[in-house]
Amino acid sequence: MTGDARKAQEVFHASLREAAERSAHGEIPRDPFWLFRDARWRCLEASEQGLQAEDVEIEEHEPAPWAESQINKLECNQLAIWISGAPDPQRTALALFYLDEFNYRDLLTLTELKSDELAKEISNGRQQFQAWLDTTLPHTET
Amino acid sequence: MKLTQLPRRHRILAHCAPIGEERAADRTMRTALLRARKTEDFAHQQKFDRAVNALVRTIPIPPEIAEWFSTEHVLSGPRKTWQRMARNPAILSIAIALTVIAGVFVFQFIEHLRDFPGSETARRLLKVASSTRSMVLDPLKADAGSLGDLFFMKHRLVHYDVPPEFADFRTLECRVFDDEEGLRVAQIWVTEKRMQFFLFPAERDIKTGKVLEFSGWHYLDYEGWVGVVSERNGVCFMAALRGRERDLASYLTKSKQ
Repeated sequence: MTGDARKAQEVFHASLREAAERSAHGEIPRDPFWLFRDARWRCLEASEQGLQAEDVEIEEHEPAPWAESQINKLECNQLAIWISGAPDPQRTALALFYLDEFNYRDLLTLTELKSDELAKEISNGRQQFQAWLDTTLPHTET
Repeated sequence: MKLTQLPRRHRILAHCAPIGEERAADRTMRTALLRARKTEDFAHQQKFDRAVNALVRTIPIPPEIAEWFSTEHVLSGPRKTWQRMARNPAILSIAIALTVIAGVFVFQFIEHLRDFPGSETARRLLKVASSTRSMVLDPLKADAGSLGDLFFMKHRLVHYDVPPEFADFRTLECRVFDDEEGLRVAQIWVTEKRMQFFLFPAERDIKTGKVLEFSGWHYLDYEGWVGVVSERNGVCFMAALRGRERDLASYLTKSKQ
């Protein structure tokens, strides 16, 4: 979400502190995802500080059969930076989707999107990432 | 076949298809996946997603964060106490429904606990007692105990005798009628507390036709009316009045003394 380990750690500790305080006062909300929501908004806040990605028209390519080999060549930080550079709510949708810890309905609740909006954000994210892969790590026939 | 050829709803779900199969717990999602698997581009999408997820899993977690999750519960939600559960509307309504059902069963059980052979007929006659007007009966001034002969002579009713406990009361009116089950019933109205007596055939065993005998006095009530029933020689006697059990009990204890 932040593309920066230090910021992510700060958000994690801030969210945990908030949770501990609420727990101590018996104010834990009924929403099982409240901690994730809290962390999400903290991440978005933290990302607003510092350098911002420019709004540019991004190319979109359909996920290619060779995408797997392209992705295998990547460093995890590159992926993190790419996702953190995406505008929200696409950033949240992609980050939570690729964590693979939530089901479809959980994702809708967490991102506060409608099903078609969530599908569009994920699908566009895939295509844009494929286009970026094709530019960064062009596929060569062997 | 292409993903774009799928119905819109299935296409939307296919785009959000879970990376791990176990997350497709939803039936609609499973249906969408079933159809999406027939398309070529969905296979590419799945491979793509799995590769990205594998990359995500390589992101190192700083040790100071990882140690937070080494113990089982970092943060526990509010405990589910029984008071909280009891306030849940669904549980509350189930509890009320069960209580009502249990109440009905207990009521019926208690009702039947006091049942005796002929109690159904006696209860029906209590209804008759509560609705009888004096003009329906024939005036007759005599001792209740002497009416047994009258019933035998005039109506051929054998053993329709008023028991000694109630035999001394003066009668006002009486009649003999067939009730809705065709039983010959003798009804006597006495001066004492506007009490009514009923004499009717005791219940018989359906198979053998033998009289179902019972001993002692048995009480029953119906809408403010109370009756006490005994059986002798195949005939049941019931004394009924508007009031409580103790109003009738006093006559039975007096006779014992």
